[in-house]
Amino acid sequence: MNLLLIVLALQNPESLSVRFAGMTAITGYEQAMTDSLLTLLPGSSRDRTGNVTLTLGRGAPKRLVYCALDEIGYVVGNITDDGYLLLRRVGGGARLYALFDQQLEGQRVTLFGRRGAVPGVVAVRSTHLTRGRPTRDEPPFTVDNAYVDVGASSRDEVLALGISILTPVSLTKRPHRYGDRGGLLAAPNAGRRAACAALASAALSRPRVRGTVVVAFTVQSLYADTAGLKTVLNLQGPFAENRQVSVPSKFPDTAVETVGLRDVDALMADVVKWIGGSQ
Amino acid sequence: MILALAAILAIQDSSRISEAQTVLSQLVESYGVSGMEAPVRATVQQLLPSWVRTETDTAGNLWVRTGGGQGDGGGGGGPVVIVAHMDEIGFRVDTINADGTLGLRNRGGFILSLFEAKPALIHTDRGDIPGIFLPRDTGLTRRIPPPLRVSVGATSRSGAESLGVKVGQTITMPKQYVRLAGTRATGRSFDDRMGCAALILALRRLDRTKLRHPVIFIFSVREEIGLEGAEAAAHQLGTSTRRVHAIDTFVSADSPLELPNFAVARIGAGAVARALDNSSITPPAYVDSLAQIARARGVALQIGTTNGGNDGSTFTQFGVVDVAMGWPLRYSHSPAEVVDLKDLLSLADLVRAVAEDW
Repeated sequence: MNLLLIVLALQNPESLSVRFAGMTAITGYEQAMTDSLLTLLPGSSRDRTGNVTLTLGRGAPKRLVYCALDEIGYVVGNITDDGYLLLRRVGGGARLYALFDQQLEGQRVTLFGRRGAVPGVVAVRSTHLTRGRPTRDEPPFTVDNAYVDVGASSRDEVLALGISILTPVSLTKRPHRYGDRGGLLAAPNAGRRAACAALASAALSRPRVRGTVVVAFTVQSLYADTAGLKTVLNLQGPFAENRQVSVPSKFPDTAVETVGLRDVDALMADVVKWIGGSQ
Repeated sequence: MILALAAILAIQDSSRISEAQTVLSQLVESYGVSGMEAPVRATVQQLLPSWVRTETDTAGNLWVRTGGGQGDGGGGGGPVVIVAHMDEIGFRVDTINADGTLGLRNRGGFILSLFEAKPALIHTDRGDIPGIFLPRDTGLTRRIPPPLRVSVGATSRSGAESLGVKVGQTITMPKQYVRLAGTRATGRSFDDRMGCAALILALRRLDRTKLRHPVIFIFSVREEIGLEGAEAAAHQLGTSTRRVHAIDTFVSADSPLELPNFAVARIGAGAVARALDNSSITPPAYVDSLAQIARARGVALQIGTTNGGNDGSTFTQFGVVDVAMGWPLRYSHSPAEVVDLKDLLSLADLVRAVAEDW
């Protein structure tokens, strides 16, 4: 297989879905993922808010097709004297899944520090020391109970790892394929990432374009004023038509949100048609 | 001169930490839910020194006999038994439902919510089948979920079976050994792969000419579901056993979430005499003897009390004293257990010391 075929294989919707699902883009802190998109999509650019856009074709009509790439996550809110990190959730608000924070408890997390990714875990009471507890009546674990242990014994050891206040933190991403011939993909935010993968694959497929199509990967869709999409509309609009792409998913907002990879292929084909002017 | 000595010691420490990590990581990344320990047993056998001859008993325990009667300088009399367990907590496939989901039975005790909505692996003789632990679908917003089910992506019983799923197979979630800051590490099933690693590291350095008694190292099965493997070994040896050392987790309260009324052994501060737990009490004179041996060898030892049972307690019915030893573990029976490799070294040194000196 020559290099071109390898590159194309890595950019098909299935492999891009797995790759994107392994990335972390906490709302407002999406830079690592947008760096990857800029590399992946020749000719793309990033605006001041952080959206990545790529313009295809020219002339009228001018249309927009976009996916939201950000996710609800956490940043370091405080560091204790004995080297534990406390967290602040970013994004979510009133519509947050009631067990969202509980998914952190007793699990691996990754901290995206200034010196690179740092592994950690979220503390949980030892089973042996909780005999008789917890009970079914106990309320869910929340971010207020989350102590992140990176193996440090002091605040200075934490700082030496490149971790500070506002360092992004997420569940460690390990996209997991299952089902017949691995046709299902489970990961946090799998639906969003699969939609972005289909959009990126469509843009990379050198589609026929009717008029001008702005392909946008938007940031901050999950925070307060949805500044990402509004920025694209105000900087690059007006558009004759807007389309947000999406892939159906099961178990949304969980760590095993699941998409069918066939649906991603179908979305890509549909987006290619849409770019060419077909409905 | 002092600096040069310190540098030499640091290099030695570093190479020992490296060896400990190599042994431990392979054990931790082997899967072995209670009753299905074969992959762990195979890993243990690969890591043992070449002089070792192993036997597997009918329960599945792996035995390594050293000392008296082995032709290597040991004295006679009843054996000292040193036991660590190979199994880990998890689930067993209990039913394959009409909708293709799998009904589960717990193997061992743990907090169910830690597995909810996480990736799953069904372990089979032909490799692992991936799936997911399903999120609850009841709208229940309390901490503990209803009984968990697993999906392998099938929508019918025959669909699940066609992927290779059978009743009786075991299920866990994917796991990985990961190094944290300093000499700390995280993973799942350090309980009791740290104990297995301590036995292997001790055997690698054991001076067999120093053994004063036969010493039997046992890698046991089915500890998490009632000390079943050790029970079989204890009955086989009966009253002949001179002393038993269970080498198992000291569940530590060294965490911001635990009450500090007991079990506070600091991780990184060395092995721990598990002098009082829910299954056995070590007579104070034996704890003193252990502390004396540790001091004489310069091995870091903490003394404490924690919860849980240990394999050595199955021997006490035969009048055998159980001198249980462990290492401090944070977040027991979770996917995010945390240990310090320095504690593994001190535990391995202590295992070697009780074999050679006591």
